[in-house]
Amino acid sequence: MSDTSRIYLQPTPIRIWHWLNAFGIVTLGLTGIQIRFPEYINLFSGYKTAILLHNVAGVVVAASFALWFFYYSFVARNMLKVYVPNKDEVKSGLLRQAKFYLLTYFLGRPNPHHPTPENKFNPMQKSAYLAIMFLLMPLIGLSGILLINIEPMRDLVLMIGGLKILMAIHYILACCLCAFLFTHVYLATLGRTAFAYIKPMWTGWEEEESDDHQHLDHLAPRPN
Amino acid sequence: MKIDKKLLILWIASLTLFSGVGVSTLLLPDLLRGVHGLAIRFFLGYCGIIVVAQVCAFIKDNRHLWEDSSGEKKSSITLSILLVTLLIIFSSSAPVMALESGDCQGCHSDAAMVGAAFVVNQAAFDTTAHAEIGCPACHESVGPGHPDDGLAPSKVGCQDCHSDVSHEYAGSGHYGYADCNDCHNPHQVRGATAVSGHDMNQQCRLCHDSSKVVSGHTDWLPQAELHLVKLPCVSCHTAAKDNVITLYIVKRQSGAKISGLEPASYQELQALAKGKPIETLIDGNEDNYISLAELRLFNLNRKSNLSLQGMMTPETVTHDFSLLANRRDCSFCHASGPEARQTSFISLVQQDGSYRRIAVEKGAVLDALYGTPDFYMVGSTRSKALDYIGAMIIAGGLVVPIGHGTLRILTRKNRKEDRRSDHE
Ligand code: HEC
Ligand code: HEC
Ligand code: HEC
Ligand code: HEC
Ligand code: HEC
Ligand code: HEC
Ligand code: HEC
Repeated sequence: MSDTSRIYLQPTPIRIWHWLNAFGIVTLGLTGIQIRFPEYINLFSGYKTAILLHNVAGVVVAASFALWFFYYSFVARNMLKVYVPNKDEVKSGLLRQAKFYLLTYFLGRPNPHHPTPENKFNPMQKSAYLAIMFLLMPLIGLSGILLINIEPMRDLVLMIGGLKILMAIHYILACCLCAFLFTHVYLATLGRTAFAYIKPMWTGWEEEESDDHQHLDHLAPRPN
Repeated sequence: MKIDKKLLILWIASLTLFSGVGVSTLLLPDLLRGVHGLAIRFFLGYCGIIVVAQVCAFIKDNRHLWEDSSGEKKSSITLSILLVTLLIIFSSSAPVMALESGDCQGCHSDAAMVGAAFVVNQAAFDTTAHAEIGCPACHESVGPGHPDDGLAPSKVGCQDCHSDVSHEYAGSGHYGYADCNDCHNPHQVRGATAVSGHDMNQQCRLCHDSSKVVSGHTDWLPQAELHLVKLPCVSCHTAAKDNVITLYIVKRQSGAKISGLEPASYQELQALAKGKPIETLIDGNEDNYISLAELRLFNLNRKSNLSLQGMMTPETVTHDFSLLANRRDCSFCHASGPEARQTSFISLVQQDGSYRRIAVEKGAVLDALYGTPDFYMVGSTRSKALDYIGAMIIAGGLVVPIGHGTLRILTRKNRKEDRRSDHE
């Protein structure tokens, strides 16, 4: 790594959001397992501990989701740009990126996507995060909010079909999120080094190799 | 150049948000007590650390901004704002430990003859166990001269015949507070399984105001309101045992779109059954047994405004009223696993106001979706089918790390060589 330049990729609110989310969701997952399978799993001493911790972590993750939402809609104002894939990305970008993960990566070629603050995610990330952040997270959060207020929100619960249906939705969505998490964490280690993608999420700064700059230029911020 | 004001506002907003979460945990005083309190405090502590670390990183990255402009003054203001907000976070998660029923009936069923206060509901009395013993058994002094003899009719004490229960009750902490007749109408006595959970609690509500009871339980019982609706008080306050799931037919009160699910009355159900016995509303083939298919059919019929509301009720009741410490242990009900929750009944209101139970197919409560769509007890009524679907989804998520990871290890040489040539 001869010549590296640094770009400021992840601003503070996003880093706070991300790591609170990470920590919160792992806690939710672990307590969730104990809540559903108490005869087999007892990670957090009592059942009540698991339930209360799950509730608190759920509220923290929901609050952190709100932070993410406010940041992108009122401060950065580029939510759609960052999260919605454009035509090119749907037509060719997705394919190019899939090709990289499935083939060229193994051959040792570099990642065709180069993150910039305006274009942080590769087309596959964009589509995955779009589904996660605009569908999965809101649904799982809303079902969770209903589940900690069952009696006061009984009518809403009944509109959905009943408590058991709501529980089933919450559980299946949680499994989806968990499945995504494995993939997410794994792909995060596909950088130049295992931590190359993880570090910027903590420090904010991404190190770029200078001889990649030509790619950067043509992927860099488009005029809007 | 100035530090981005918007960002600063955002931090403060987010910090207040999280300290708000901390403070709201204090609203449930029990939340931060004991073992779970410790776990929650750790969790919130780590969340705090993440926020602090990120804020520190931000300060470090942007130090030049305020050092350039007006020197240290600005940074000290920003820092003090940060410190105050952090203090709020920590003080909210720090050790606030203080926090954890014929002769008689000729007259007595007619309000015009005896007055409303002395009416005994005949329909209800005739089907009770006490009808066998008859009115004079309990009102011995009522002679031929009644009611014009001026004698006050005697009223027997329950202990003459129910010595066991009386004895048990006399030994309970509640003995001084209520008499048998305060909870029981001697003319409408029913066994434990012939009373709905709702009616059972109605007996307690005469003295125990609902909202007070709710607030008296919230400090240790999450969703106390829900628990008090879905459980008879006696299942936690007596040694009542053998809990089963009992489903009652409730009705959305006519016209009301929102709320108002109340137990459907016999007359309402009779009208809906159109001349057939009300059991046919749910037990279509009238075999006095409800199969899962019949249950589903009932639940999927949304036209009738009827639905089923489940409660966990005891098969036998006792009268040793007390505060049972082990009912504070959630696993008494929640962690029993699906094996313990196989038995359920549909309990139907009868003309006399009592309830008749019909057995439901074993395991119906555990049906994934349409067995009991509005009853679910975490930890004990989960569906196996959903467990498997969930496991498959998670396994799907493991395909990428395992498959790709394997190929990655096998081809690691390619990448090394490639990189080396890049650098040459
Ligand atoms: C002729 C009508 C008549 C018949 C028959 C009759 N009662 Fe009464 N009963 C009355 C009336 C009227 C009163 C209300 C008296 C009063 O105002 O104090 C009454 C009052 C009572 C009371 C309540 C007394 C109190 O002050 O709480 C009891 C108990 C009672 N009756 C029992 C019986 C029993 C048992 C029989 C059958 C063996 C019976 N009655 C038959 C008319 C009748
Ligand atoms: C198991 C015993 C028992 C039987 C059987 C019984 N009663 Fe009573 N009855 C009582 C008791 C006890 C009271 C007093 C209730 C109270 O103080 O609240 C009472 C009260 C009454 C009263 C006063 C009004 C009231 O409801 O408090 C009337 C009238 C009465 N009984 C009539 C009858 C008639 C008529 C019958 C038969 C159809 C009958 N009772 C059968 C035990 C009995
Ligand atoms: C003269 C005797 C006698 C008296 C007095 C008496 N009971 Fe009973 N009671 C019975 C009999 C007999 C039964 C049916 C068998 C059984 O459950 O023990 C019964 C059953 C009951 C039941 C259960 C009903 C059922 O269907 O299982 C209740 C509740 C009850 N009595 C309450 C009372 C109360 C409250 C009093 C006092 C007001 C009282 N009894 C006074 C004889 C009596
Ligand atoms: C604090 C309220 C309360 C008091 C006081 C009380 N009971 Fe009960 N009792 C209940 C409840 C609740 C049930 C459950 C069935 C029902 O609601 O009728 C019950 C059920 C019963 C049963 C039927 C038991 C069965 O297994 O079917 C009998 C008999 C009975 N009580 C007798 C008495 C007698 C006798 C007294 C007075 C010594 C008494 N009760 C006092 C609340 C009370
Ligand atoms: C006639 C009124 C009355 C009825 C009916 C009644 N209670 Fe009570 N109960 C009291 C009073 C009075 C107290 C003492 C004050 C308090 O703690 O609220 C009490 C206290 C209690 C306590 C606390 C006891 C303790 O050791 O501190 C419990 C638990 C209780 N009741 C349960 C019940 C249940 C369950 C029912 C219904 C099956 C019921 N009560 C029906 C009057 C009643
Ligand atoms: C999930 C089990 C459960 C249920 C259901 C339940 N309780 Fe309790 N209740 C408890 C426990 C446990 C305590 C003791 C709490 C403690 O140790 O401080 C208690 C305490 C009480 C007390 C005394 C403390 C106070 O609030 O003043 C009363 C009165 C009481 N309950 C009434 C009721 C009534 C009435 C109902 C039904 C509407 C009911 N409970 C339902 C578990 C339960
Ligand atoms: C006496 C039995 C009993 C005890 C003890 C009990 N619960 Fe429950 N719990 C229930 C029932 C019944 C429901 C309602 C199920 C429904 O509405 O479908 C319920 C519902 C819940 C719910 C809402 C989610 C759901 O499963 O419907 C939570 C959360 C919960 N309980 C937590 C707790 C915690 C935490 C404790 C211990 C402090 C506890 N429970 C103690 C019986 C109990």
